[in-house]
Amino acid sequence: MNLITLKSDGIISRSDSDLETDLLSLLSCQIKLEKKFTLRSCFFMLEKYPMLSRLNPFFPAIREQYNTCPKNKCIWDEITNLEFSKTVEMTGFPKKRLEIYNTFLGVCEKERIEIKSMQLEHLLDITINLGKVRHIIFGDQIDLFEFDTVFTLFEFIEGILWELSFQTNPKHCEIRR
Amino acid sequence: MFTKILFATTGSPTCDNAAKVAFDLEDKWDAKLYVFHVLGIPTRGFSQYITDVRTGEVEEQDSDYINWVKEELKNTYDKLITDEKNTLIKTAIGVPHREILRLARKENIDLIIMGAHTREEDIGATRYRSIVGSTMQKVAKLARCPVVIINRPCTTCWKLFSNIVFGTDFSKATDSAFLFARNLANEVGAKLHIFHTCEISIGSAGQVKDQEEIEKMIEKAKDKIKTRYISKMKGFDNYEIEVREGIPYVEILKFARERSGDLIALAHHTKKIKPEDAVLGSTIEQVILRSSCPVASVNHPDKVSD
Repeated sequence: MNLITLKSDGIISRSDSDLETDLLSLLSCQIKLEKKFTLRSCFFMLEKYPMLSRLNPFFPAIREQYNTCPKNKCIWDEITNLEFSKTVEMTGFPKKRLEIYNTFLGVCEKERIEIKSMQLEHLLDITINLGKVRHIIFGDQIDLFEFDTVFTLFEFIEGILWELSFQTNPKHCEIRR
Repeated sequence: MFTKILFATTGSPTCDNAAKVAFDLEDKWDAKLYVFHVLGIPTRGFSQYITDVRTGEVEEQDSDYINWVKEELKNTYDKLITDEKNTLIKTAIGVPHREILRLARKENIDLIIMGAHTREEDIGATRYRSIVGSTMQKVAKLARCPVVIINRPCTTCWKLFSNIVFGTDFSKATDSAFLFARNLANEVGAKLHIFHTCEISIGSAGQVKDQEEIEKMIEKAKDKIKTRYISKMKGFDNYEIEVREGIPYVEILKFARERSGDLIALAHHTKKIKPEDAVLGSTIEQVILRSSCPVASVNHPDKVSD
């Protein structure tokens, strides 16, 4: 009922009709990604629906970087796909608390790796998959469970832009004058 | 410039990036480096048992255990220790921030180096809670010397720093950060970028500032920089002034990236309150979290004044 599909060309569609307006009402919709949906598709989507890019103040700077990247073959051989997932963490010490947050990581064989320090030009053409919810109990002594879950359009865009808003490592260090 | 440096570490991989900078600094200034690890919080007052920071297990704190931890630390940083004479591995039992501050005070430390977090998963969760670790927060707030926080791998060696970005909002607290940045730039031969953001999001609801008004604000800020900082350059002339409009932390990070900034120096807080009562400002928290280069939080003039 509330399912929308994010297409690889950046178009958001519902029941085979492409949506052009009323974006706010879509933010709470459950998303499904087209098979070849990549990080570049995400940028296509934000260009097509600029209002969505306002979810993160860093987007203009991220877009500047994106514009300098090659138009294709932006991949990193070790990363097979990017995974958008959710974490529910219960911490018992020093205070009891429950945290729920989204993560956007690279998947390298079975290992998940942080993409914060990687250049955008190595990520854009890697496919994005929706992952599971990871349930972590009591931070330091970790018990981990994984469950199927759904993601909304808001979570997806906000979570990806949050991750991209970290500064990548400089390509090279500038040697002293 | 620094004769005594304190590197506070958990000994876990989250401190590896900070470790590289700490040992690099020790090498550059031929300083005495204190590699300091707080063993763990006693399970109860005066207890013989503590919770090991690395394993999470409850351990008996006898001399064997302490020596084992010191040996482990030595092995962890084995490749980085080039000058054994000037490297001291120290441990203490207690609440981490209190012990770090105690040692800094006792040894009259010039600079504290820390990672922003003690647990890797904090990074993911930080978006919905305070951004930096509580130990770092408390140390930055109470230390009398500058605190350098290293959150990400530092690609440029400290001794090769070529661009230091100093962010100001003209509060009194930023004066100490300026002195630290200027002295350091002078010492390592780096360019000092004095940066200010005119925050245009603040204002009466619904009012949008026009371009002319923004430009006036920028000009005014440039004049203020000239009177407040340029007059205190003391012959140092390798600097640049930049004023932009926008959200302060977004613009500082953007500017640091554009200029290949190697270090960002900011005040710990900027409001007119006593340093002891202040919490880490939201701008510096956001910058620490996202910056790819180290961030120096300067809170007191003690170790930076002329």
